[in-house]
Amino acid sequence: MAKFGGINLSSSEEVLHKTEDSDSTSESGALELRNLSVGYADALISEINVSIVQGETIAILGSSGIGKTTLLRTIAGLIRPLEGEVIHDFPKRSGIGYIPQRLGLIRHSSVRSNVAIGARTRKPKWYPALFPLGSELNSDIDSALAELSIGEYAKTPVRILSGGQQRRVAIARALVQKPKLILADEFLGELDKENVDSIIQATKKLISETGSTLIMVEHHESRAYQIADRILRIKDGKIVEEVSQ
Amino acid sequence: MNNKFIIASVILLSLTWVFLDDLVDDWGQIESAPDRLETFFYEDLWPPDWSVLEAEEWVDGTLHKPNGELCTESYEIFCSKAWTGMEITIKMAFISTLIGFIISVPLASLSANNLVPLPIAIPARIVLAGLRSLPSIIWALLFAIALGFGPLPGILAMTLYTIGYLGKLQYEAMEGIANAPLESAMAMGLTHSERLVHVVIPESSNDLLSQLMFMFEYNVRHGTVLGLVGAGGIGMYIDNYINPPFAYDKAFALLIVVFVVVVIIDLLSMFARSFVTEQGDVKRPKWWTVLLPAGFAADYYNKSKDSDSEESE
Repeated sequence: MAKFGGINLSSSEEVLHKTEDSDSTSESGALELRNLSVGYADALISEINVSIVQGETIAILGSSGIGKTTLLRTIAGLIRPLEGEVIHDFPKRSGIGYIPQRLGLIRHSSVRSNVAIGARTRKPKWYPALFPLGSELNSDIDSALAELSIGEYAKTPVRILSGGQQRRVAIARALVQKPKLILADEFLGELDKENVDSIIQATKKLISETGSTLIMVEHHESRAYQIADRILRIKDGKIVEEVSQ
Repeated sequence: MNNKFIIASVILLSLTWVFLDDLVDDWGQIESAPDRLETFFYEDLWPPDWSVLEAEEWVDGTLHKPNGELCTESYEIFCSKAWTGMEITIKMAFISTLIGFIISVPLASLSANNLVPLPIAIPARIVLAGLRSLPSIIWALLFAIALGFGPLPGILAMTLYTIGYLGKLQYEAMEGIANAPLESAMAMGLTHSERLVHVVIPESSNDLLSQLMFMFEYNVRHGTVLGLVGAGGIGMYIDNYINPPFAYDKAFALLIVVFVVVVIIDLLSMFARSFVTEQGDVKRPKWWTVLLPAGFAADYYNKSKDSDSEESE
């Protein structure tokens, strides 16, 4: 199914629950972007109306500099929308896993410490920052490291890993959070096909286990089709195409 | 080099010259300076009097520490003024630096404008500025008036100054870290203390370690000054020697000891920071190289780096 030039891209019946107030209802895992305009001084993308159900994988396609990262940062709550709303009921803590374009890893910390940052969000806010995580979270970290084939580098500082291995660490960090939503900004970077395939496979498996929604920005069309349930194409500051598969 | 850089450099250098000319009335002072310095150096400083590395010998022939205790150490140097004074100074610097660091890190995190909003950052910065605007010697004077002479006023003075000075360096280092790890942490919902402990401190660890070691070195050096207000340590002995009856040669020997300790701290700093620098940029030093003079240590690493690169080729 493809819609060209459509503004209201999804009125999917599968949307579980919508709410205006993110803190007032039970967590449905649904996300709605309503009349959203994103940008800094001027709008880069406007009139975004998208509804996303829990567990869906969305790929956002578009050329460089068009505002895809800005859209992702707005959904993550890092910048305010110029207009409209991002409506969801995810918990503020651990609800969103974010993999920025530059991965956002702590270069001097070990692989395990980096992934542990994600796991820590599953502890309550008041849990002291210096206290250990406990056996359950530690075993989740071990599983995520093993699933993404980086278990042997657990004690290695991230700065000396290859680009592909660093991407696996960033994915493990987001997934071990068990977030409702994962926002990934070109998280596959310029990896070779073999690496891309194996990361996509591991990511898909872990997402299906955690039931997380994934919104990814991608500029490789083939990768977007390989992983996403729905593809949104952005052009001239608007969403111009939606493809479900 | 672009034109703007050249113009800015010329303006700054011209301003320096104008200010200097405004402040200095008699340029003739410079003419006689080398002669006077030479006379002072050869008559009063040189050669250094290394008796500061020996224990005091009393009239009955027994060896004693500067505080009058009998010297029971295997080597006489352990009872000398240089050793005992430096031991106290290093202990004072260690305590002050560590306590100052522990207090300054959270204060710096409340001053960094990429971690907190400006209404929080500005008051925290004012506190840090207040602490460092009084030099540690003034703090020491205030504490000496309140508490009397001895190491305690020195420790308190150095601790307060460390918080103010280190805090400023730290928040600037924190503001310089990459944005992506912080953004990820914020999107995940980490609290301020979690971001500080698990993101900011590890990300700025190279700078924080370097600043910590620099502050320790600074406090050791400053221990020599704090002696002037009776804060104890090696500075107290230096103060004794530069006052009547003058013994500049002994003071000079003690200053050489301070210099050696500063060089050792610098090498320790290089070793500590090697754990958090990009691999390949710095070859991790062997622990024993801290015992080598700086030039020898550098030669050792240059040679071993060359041989490594030859092997890899």
